[in-house]
Amino acid sequence: MVNFTVDEIRVMMDKKKNIRNMSVIAHVDHGKSTLTDSLVSKAGIIAGAKAGETRFTDTRKDEQERCITIKSTAISMYFELDDKDLVFITNPDQREKDEKGFLINLIDSPGHVDFSSEVTAALRVTDGALVVVDCVSGVCVQTETVLRQAIAERIKPILFMNKMDRALLELQLDAEELYQTFQRIVENVNVIIATYNDDSGPMGEVRVDPSKGSVGFGSGLHGWAFTLKQFAEMYAEKFKIDVVKLMNRLWGENFFNPKTKKWAKQKDEENKRSFCMYILDPIYKVFQSVMNYKKEEYEALLPKLGIVLKHEDKDKDGKQLLKVIMRTWLPAGEALLQMIAIHLPSPVVAQKYRMEMLYEGPLDDEAAVGIKNCDASAPLMMYVSKMVPTSDKGRFYAFGRVFSGKVATGQKARIMGPNYTPGKKEDLYEKAIQRTILMMGRYVEAIEDVPSGNICGLVGVDQFLVKTGTISTFKDAHNLKVMKFSVSPVVRVAVEPKNPADLPKLVEGLKRLTKSDPMVQCIIEESGEHIIAGAGELHLEICLKDLEEDHACIPIKKSDPVVSYRETVSEESDQMCLSKSPNKHNRLFMKACPMPDGLAEDIDDGHVNPRDDFKVRARYLTEKYDYDVTEARKIWCFGPDGTGPNILVDCTKGVQYLNEIKDSVVAGFQWATKEGVLSEENCRGVRFNIYDVTLHADAIHRGGGQIIPTARRCLYACLLTAAPRLMEPIYKCEIMCPEVAVGGIYGVLNRRRGHVFEEAQIAGTPMFCVKAYLPVNESFGFTADLRSNTGGQAFPQSVFDHWQILPGNPLDAGTKPYGIVQDTRKRKGLKEGLPDLAQYLDKL
Amino acid sequence: MTKLTFSSNEAVSLEKQVDLLCTPIETKPEDLEAVYEISRCAEWIRSNNFKKVCLQFPDHLLADSSEVILRLQGILNQTVYLLGDTAYESCCIDYIAAAHIDADAIIHFGPVCFSKTSASLPYINIYEKKSLDLEKLRAQFEEKFNDEQYEIVILVDTIYLHLFDALEKVFRDLCNVSLQRIDAIECNQTFNCLCFLSDNDRKLLNVALNFKPKILYYYDGNIKVFENASKVVKRRNFIIEKIKDSETVGIIIGTLGVKNYLEILARTKTLISNSGKKYYLISVGKPTVAKLANFPELDIYVVITCSMNEIYESRDFYKPIATPFDIEIALNRNADSISDFTYDYNAFLGNTEIASNTEAVGDVSLLTNKLRVPVTTEEIKDPEDTTVAVKDAGTIALSNSGAGYLAQRSWQGLEQNLGRTEPHLAKEGRDGIPLHYRNEEHQ
Repeated sequence: MVNFTVDEIRVMMDKKKNIRNMSVIAHVDHGKSTLTDSLVSKAGIIAGAKAGETRFTDTRKDEQERCITIKSTAISMYFELDDKDLVFITNPDQREKDEKGFLINLIDSPGHVDFSSEVTAALRVTDGALVVVDCVSGVCVQTETVLRQAIAERIKPILFMNKMDRALLELQLDAEELYQTFQRIVENVNVIIATYNDDSGPMGEVRVDPSKGSVGFGSGLHGWAFTLKQFAEMYAEKFKIDVVKLMNRLWGENFFNPKTKKWAKQKDEENKRSFCMYILDPIYKVFQSVMNYKKEEYEALLPKLGIVLKHEDKDKDGKQLLKVIMRTWLPAGEALLQMIAIHLPSPVVAQKYRMEMLYEGPLDDEAAVGIKNCDASAPLMMYVSKMVPTSDKGRFYAFGRVFSGKVATGQKARIMGPNYTPGKKEDLYEKAIQRTILMMGRYVEAIEDVPSGNICGLVGVDQFLVKTGTISTFKDAHNLKVMKFSVSPVVRVAVEPKNPADLPKLVEGLKRLTKSDPMVQCIIEESGEHIIAGAGELHLEICLKDLEEDHACIPIKKSDPVVSYRETVSEESDQMCLSKSPNKHNRLFMKACPMPDGLAEDIDDGHVNPRDDFKVRARYLTEKYDYDVTEARKIWCFGPDGTGPNILVDCTKGVQYLNEIKDSVVAGFQWATKEGVLSEENCRGVRFNIYDVTLHADAIHRGGGQIIPTARRCLYACLLTAAPRLMEPIYKCEIMCPEVAVGGIYGVLNRRRGHVFEEAQIAGTPMFCVKAYLPVNESFGFTADLRSNTGGQAFPQSVFDHWQILPGNPLDAGTKPYGIVQDTRKRKGLKEGLPDLAQYLDKL
Repeated sequence: MTKLTFSSNEAVSLEKQVDLLCTPIETKPEDLEAVYEISRCAEWIRSNNFKKVCLQFPDHLLADSSEVILRLQGILNQTVYLLGDTAYESCCIDYIAAAHIDADAIIHFGPVCFSKTSASLPYINIYEKKSLDLEKLRAQFEEKFNDEQYEIVILVDTIYLHLFDALEKVFRDLCNVSLQRIDAIECNQTFNCLCFLSDNDRKLLNVALNFKPKILYYYDGNIKVFENASKVVKRRNFIIEKIKDSETVGIIIGTLGVKNYLEILARTKTLISNSGKKYYLISVGKPTVAKLANFPELDIYVVITCSMNEIYESRDFYKPIATPFDIEIALNRNADSISDFTYDYNAFLGNTEIASNTEAVGDVSLLTNKLRVPVTTEEIKDPEDTTVAVKDAGTIALSNSGAGYLAQRSWQGLEQNLGRTEPHLAKEGRDGIPLHYRNEEHQ
């Protein structure tokens, strides 16, 4: 069965040039898990005949039932490459001398946008990505998203055109049409790559090219696949041309005239496109003869293709026979393996250019050099990208990638959480690693140690990390960079146990859930409600199910989904706001105004952040947003939480003792921006200016007790006088459907306050792609609604895009924002009604 | 610049508005005797032969105090003392103030909380008296409960106790209704269906929490069902999680009169230190937002006070306010048996042993989603690690909490900035009082 042992894998782990760490990424339903089966079966882990049906990497019961991948799953496999293929690996760092075995660590990832965080976690620990595209539907939203993420992480992509069987059997495309379809997909993918990658950058050229063999074609479901290399090898002898040269001839504007035996660069009457003639024609022939039950025809054809059917397969016919023939002729595992081994980088190659993206510390310290050289004798540097539940409830394997050094069972290491800063003790533990393990889909295998360049799991680390972290043996190591997710947890539900006595179990369950998902947030709100926040409805549904069945094991009541809002302002405060301290001896004068468009996003993305040098930041703000340079230099802080998208600017001139009260004002600012004045939601996009401060001359009368509450009151007054508004989260939805269904989409979107900003036919397909913005608040039940209004033909992918001001004044009774403010206040147990300006504003 | 103003002129003091929670009440002279039961007080003093008697008035009744004292002194021919401006809650007996003159007895006027008291000075409570439309109440009862089968108990609050006899008369013929005085109630009494006659929301909440009737009605002109208790109980989830997250807890003294306050204080201290956290004991008289915000290094406040204190519901404080109950649940592993929330710490004090703490590592905070770090993590001890901590200027201790907090502040004390501050000519400063300086530029 399995044609390798753990010991063999361990030996391979040291041959780091022969390792390929890769993830399989794609749009939902483009056939990642199915395709992965081909490789798993080639490795002997599952039977060949079952490949395509088993979905070995879908380890959870619900994944199998729903036919959707939810969690990314890793598997390590060992393969050997033939000598003839080895010559294609030219880079000496891509192969150890005299070694034809390859260790492939593959991570199958989910395609649904709600689970993008799993993709992010998978990409971080791999160096290459197999991008799967359904050749019938073409490049979709999520294809673009994950590809963009991959490029940003410096992950090299290769492309696979899946579901060719559908193109042939269902759509009945003719050869030239099919070629055009392929050509367009390749172009689309390369456009995306070119947008996010610079060819002269450290990764070099990463575009995919069929004639180089970095694009595969085939059907994961039927278990067959090829690259131009396979066909070039078949014809090379016949034409007496070198394989590489022939591969170039088999793609693009190359036409062959069978009569004159001449190649041409242009189409004319006599000649035919080489790709159609030499590759698609034979495949079409096999398909036609088998599917039309022309027994003589295909029996004559088989020997020509060098296929010998096994005895038991001879009785099959129709689709079953087609599968067997195609699988024997063009085994998918073989084609994929070659693509992976030849075109994806080894850790040695990849870590050279990935190091600077990964490491937060100085790029020349021991850890950095160790990562750069993928050096197993350097200090250990490992990144834990996610937690995988074990059979032992509440315990997790810490799953990650060793970038440098060696991680071993029993080894003592520093476990550094995302909040660790070198030299401090926060988020740092020094503990022994209980066990190192190899992740094999649904199984794990214990392993003594794991050297750099490999992916593995750790036992016993889960107690010291929440979701991710860095593990090192180097005392001065900095963290490996925290992953940035493309989705945000904007949809929330409140949960409570059906039986109140189960509350402790719920709390414990929520803690486990927090660990097990890279992005979910489980929070207790000030009101005491237990909130689960996720990317979308599906994500929440899965989280709730996991919570109920695996983590808490109690029946749970859940509320309707809600979204969180943000408080902002739309104008400058209409008056100078003055608040006096309780002892009346200190006065603060401030105003609020909205930030210019884009600044809040810049802060979110970290382009403007509190750690920047203030001069550099001021220059950026002055150039991009026209801020006054002296004021921009005096940004006291960001908030909430010290990093949020609101700023406090010191616009005072020559105020005595001002630096003494800075900490107090900042504390008040953090407080006020975390709990806004309208409904205690976070503030967003507000700039507060301090214009003047009058302080008591005696320090005892201007302490924190006097200033902190006063600063908060004054900031609240500023918000109330600056035309406050609510912001709501907006999804970007991309909906694929046939033309007839487009009308239905508009109807549904209109009812839900959505608006379409782009509508286009996907070239080469009958499908339309509609792009729209949809308030998250209106998105609940959207998928089902859309389906019922389009006869099940439209499928949306929604991902949080931006915050948008909800039209209407929340201070006017009867407006929508007013209703939301009241609902939120009620939910949070606050006094209903509106905040009273007189409470915050004082008169001189 | 010759004149230094140390005090403001009296006009300012007289015009100054004082924030009062209750509007002051002034009773008509002819009602004084009835409202304050002056003759009963005199009788009590005389029969017990007290020499030094203190009258404790809440702020909103102070207007009547002088007249009451004058009349009482007239009857008794001895000096009686007035206790105003109670240090903590005016619902509790203020022994401390009384001890200043070594008093033998206290007469307490106004709202009362019935907390068990810590000292054994004799006292009587004279309740406030409010009127009630008995006919309307009776009509409401008949309408609401005419076909109800189960017993309903009417709990009468102090303000209506003077009407108790009248109430009994009114409800005599309703056989499923019985009456109960609030000052004669046992604390472990159970009720199925309770109707609380009161005007105090806070008391209503305490009744709901302490007696846990299946249905609690209250009367405010109409009979309504009280449902708010779950909100308070829910809020515990947050507070308890916040306590577990905090590194430094401020223990705020909010009473000197409630029984066992020293015991609960000691217990709270033990619980906090056992769990590796730090505490500051803060006694600042009546806690206010401004006073407590002077300690920004605290993560949470726990206030030890009587169960009538409304401070627990306030959301204006810089950090959340916990009750001793929350501390017990959050930090004592043996506290599983205490399940029902109460503001009254005497209800659970001494019920459970304090667990020897074995803090679980890997606990995730549900407030920040960060890993909870026990403050007393053992130092990273590496025998080869001989690095010594560099003593920065002003470093006193290396720690995350307390002194460590100071290190994070941007302003750490007087900075001389020698040579960096430009010299200025002396100019005229502010003049006048903070409320409005004479040379104020603004507006």
